[in-house]
Amino acid sequence: MHKTLLGYVPDQSPIYAIHPFVKVYFLLIVSLFPLFITAPEWNFFIMLFTLALMWYSRVDVKILRIYAPMAISMGFIILLSYTVLGGVHPEYRLLTKPLGIPIYWERIRDATVVYFRILPMIATMVFFLSTSRERDVIVAMRSVKIPFVITYVFAMALRSAGMVLEDFGIVRQAEQARGFDPAGKSLAYKIRKYIMYMVPLFALSLRRTEEFTNALIARGYAFTGKASKVKRADYVLTHYTFRALDGVLVGIITITFIAILVLRYGFGYFGLDDSWFIIWAQSAL
Amino acid sequence: MSAVIEIKDYTWRYLYSPNPALENINLTVHQGEFIGIIGPNGSGKTTLAYSLNGLIPGQYHGIKQGGIKVLGKDVESYPTGALQKSVGVVFSDPEAQFTTMTVEDELVFGMENLGMSIPEIRERLEWVVELTDLSPLMLKPPYEISGGQKQRVALAAVLAMRPPIMVLDEPTSMLDPISRRRIFEVLAKLKREQRNTIIVIEHSLENLVPLADRMVLLHNSHLLLEGETRQFFEQMDLLLEKGLFPPGIMQFFHYLKQQGRYDGYLPVTVAEAAEKLTSLLEPAQEGKQ
Repeated sequence: MHKTLLGYVPDQSPIYAIHPFVKVYFLLIVSLFPLFITAPEWNFFIMLFTLALMWYSRVDVKILRIYAPMAISMGFIILLSYTVLGGVHPEYRLLTKPLGIPIYWERIRDATVVYFRILPMIATMVFFLSTSRERDVIVAMRSVKIPFVITYVFAMALRSAGMVLEDFGIVRQAEQARGFDPAGKSLAYKIRKYIMYMVPLFALSLRRTEEFTNALIARGYAFTGKASKVKRADYVLTHYTFRALDGVLVGIITITFIAILVLRYGFGYFGLDDSWFIIWAQSAL
Repeated sequence: MSAVIEIKDYTWRYLYSPNPALENINLTVHQGEFIGIIGPNGSGKTTLAYSLNGLIPGQYHGIKQGGIKVLGKDVESYPTGALQKSVGVVFSDPEAQFTTMTVEDELVFGMENLGMSIPEIRERLEWVVELTDLSPLMLKPPYEISGGQKQRVALAAVLAMRPPIMVLDEPTSMLDPISRRRIFEVLAKLKREQRNTIIVIEHSLENLVPLADRMVLLHNSHLLLEGETRQFFEQMDLLLEKGLFPPGIMQFFHYLKQQGRYDGYLPVTVAEAAEKLTSLLEPAQEGKQ
């Protein structure tokens, strides 16, 4: 099993044949698809397609269960925001008025559209995080010649996030070991006592920063001066080859994106007017 | 042997600190020597390590007197990033020195900074991975491996840069005895095969003493004692008085010496001690027969 940002993927997964750049490109471009597609059924199809890719990549799709409550509560919040908190719109078609709150068809429709736009974006992100590791992001950035210093700062940010979480765990255990137990206490109490975590965490972060700087200097790295002007070999990139398959996949993603733009703005596809789901929902409500 | 490090009348006081962290230190280290530096906490050992690598005064504010020369040049005269080619430092907390996401990236990071080519990096990587036995860990994140493995990665990352001088600041302070022994096995291999100049700051003397050519005692910011390893431990009473505990076998033979039952040099390894003890016991056994 190989560890990824979100879990583990078996050694035999076909995802390892894909260059990291393609994975990042997939994330960045396919995440944009729903922005140009209004018809919910098409966005639902993108989500299903992404989930199928996860299954094909041998990602344990059971991890999706942890996102189900989030997806449901998110949908509920969006629906409430658009309907109950959506305001008064006499120009819209009124469906019902429970407790004096007007519920309009157009607001339900808009909430559905937004919800089905967000779902494939989340699925794409989960797919990426489930099949990639931090190194993939760095390799992808370096393979398109993004300057080393930018990729390195990004890598350090990822690294420091992990360190802060780790330190937070240590501080929390230390507090618990001395009898601090916020279980069962009010939220206000927990927030007030949170300062107990923050102070040592902040002090630890400062110390880590100093150690990190020392480590960088000890390895001959400097942001300024002659060392920074040394032409760097990028050894990590030697492990990755951009194959014909990667080129084909980048091409497919790009062409699909262009096709969506052309179909949407040139021929009016993916709009609400010819969405069979919206037509069906409108007639049902 | 030529001197690779010359410390002359060196004093360093951190800003806002009332007392110097190091005071009037004089020490010369020759090429290929293995030096052990010992001393209680707060005696200035880490400050000395940082001073050799240019972290002091580069990264810390303070007042300096005297000077340190590395390979004939004053530490401060080296351009940024240049001194680190000559002096590699391994810190006591391995986790704090990891700057990348995989063990492999960690090992090549320093070499990339030195401007080495891909074939050179590959060749050195193979060498250092074999030396430190890290091949199964190459794709793992360095912060997810065990403490001993972390310290081996930290050591390997510096070794890969092949600095002629290596300073290890309490490299085994967080390790169990087995991991500790593995680190010292790597150092022994280095001493045997590479002839690097190695300076090890360490509390655990059992593993250090058999390897060290010379020992240095720092106490309260001063260099209190310095000498060839066997001669150094002849000052057993002073070491014990300063709260340092030489290896058990040395203390045992020192005790025999005090009792007038032994007058040779203090053994530094168990094998040597066993040999000495056998020769001590042999006349008594013959007498019985």
